[in-house]
Amino acid sequence: MNRFLLIFTGLIISLTAQDDILEHIDEGTVSPVPVQATFKATRIVNSQSIELPRPKTLEFMILHRFGSMGNGFYDLFGMDEAAIRFDLKYGINDRISLGAGRSSLNKTYDIFTKLKILKQTSGGSSFPFSLALFSKIEISTIDQNLPMNDQLTFDIQVLAARKFNPSISVQVMPTFIHRNLVQTAEEFHDLLSFGIGGRVKVTRRVSINADTFFPLGERDESFKQSWGLGCDIETGGHVFQLMITNVQGSFESEYIENATGTFDELNLFLGFNITRVFSL
Amino acid sequence: MIWKIIFLVLTVPLFGEDIYFTRSGTISFFSSTPIEDIKAINEQTTCVLDLETGDLSFRIPIRGFIFKNGLMQEHFNENYLESDTYPNASFTGSIEGWKDITLTEKLQPVSLKGTMTIHGVSKDIAESGNILMKENRVIGAATFKITVADYKIKIPKIVRDNIAKVVDVTVDLSLKKK
Repeated sequence: MNRFLLIFTGLIISLTAQDDILEHIDEGTVSPVPVQATFKATRIVNSQSIELPRPKTLEFMILHRFGSMGNGFYDLFGMDEAAIRFDLKYGINDRISLGAGRSSLNKTYDIFTKLKILKQTSGGSSFPFSLALFSKIEISTIDQNLPMNDQLTFDIQVLAARKFNPSISVQVMPTFIHRNLVQTAEEFHDLLSFGIGGRVKVTRRVSINADTFFPLGERDESFKQSWGLGCDIETGGHVFQLMITNVQGSFESEYIENATGTFDELNLFLGFNITRVFSL
Repeated sequence: MIWKIIFLVLTVPLFGEDIYFTRSGTISFFSSTPIEDIKAINEQTTCVLDLETGDLSFRIPIRGFIFKNGLMQEHFNENYLESDTYPNASFTGSIEGWKDITLTEKLQPVSLKGTMTIHGVSKDIAESGNILMKENRVIGAATFKITVADYKIKIPKIVRDNIAKVVDVTVDLSLKKK
């Protein structure tokens, strides 16, 4: 009897031990991996996204906004006019990127940097969100008579984003803008705002995006809260972003603090961003 | 008597197996078309070989494939292999005729048979490889082809000419005793 028990136990052990031989070395620990592609592009609609150009990659971006749609078919919903911006960004590594751009609106040049501070990770001891710092200096050169100092505007943003699942990502953006020169005494030099943006993927290559900036503190009467609603379309090496927004400028001090459009008389702007990347 | 059983329970898992493994096996794939060549290397492959039975098991984390072009790597994960949904590829099978094989320092060809799972799709495959034993390590290598469409990996029209329909896969392993 005892001998049978012994053999029986031995058999049970040898049977149960052989389910999947990978189990022999599994310790049940999974190392966390960084979450990628929180957004498809380095912009959500108007606003900066948490994404940086990839390491050793040069990213060329065209940001095109047509004129106001208010004139209807007369100028084909603003197609006759345009405010255009080009910028070039370079990813030094996966945490540091540098860029420079020029916008036709106010003939504005700018240099900027985006730094990835924290990365959202999944698996194992995961970290819940990504954090980046964006800072920028703009030089408006439309008025040649102004001293250099009066042409400058500074922008600092903290970008915090979380990819909740493969299709939904949300980002918040506390923002500080300092203008060296303001047009009237009623306007403020220092402006604080709180941006929020996000995306929902509708297919593997298409997503619907939106962003807006809530002003914190006082603004003058003419201030309008900016917003953008867009759609990302990804092809092989490009990302196309089509949008409708209430602001024509596509650089920070414009699209955060200088929105002009309203739904009355359809005074809104159509536009698109195109991103092309070059591996260097 | 009861002590004999307890002894057996404790010792069988320790002595009953002859397991060799690695967590850093190399798997690379190569897609070649007239337009472009695409290559990716994964050095995080887990492989386990049971030297008693010839059973073999692979686990390949899809996120571990490193491309030269970061955008390609992102598209590979996001759009093609969908690594959020299917984080690992795997192979479970055995080396054929294991009882008649004695591992030596000389390279010898072997046949493998088993189930390959990629992108959530399982397929029975039979491929050949080479194996040898040197300095207490089992060294294995294999090259074979994978037809992308077999695993329901959809390639959009716009890049259809850039990505090969059949990709070459190379496996290099150095297993140590557990």
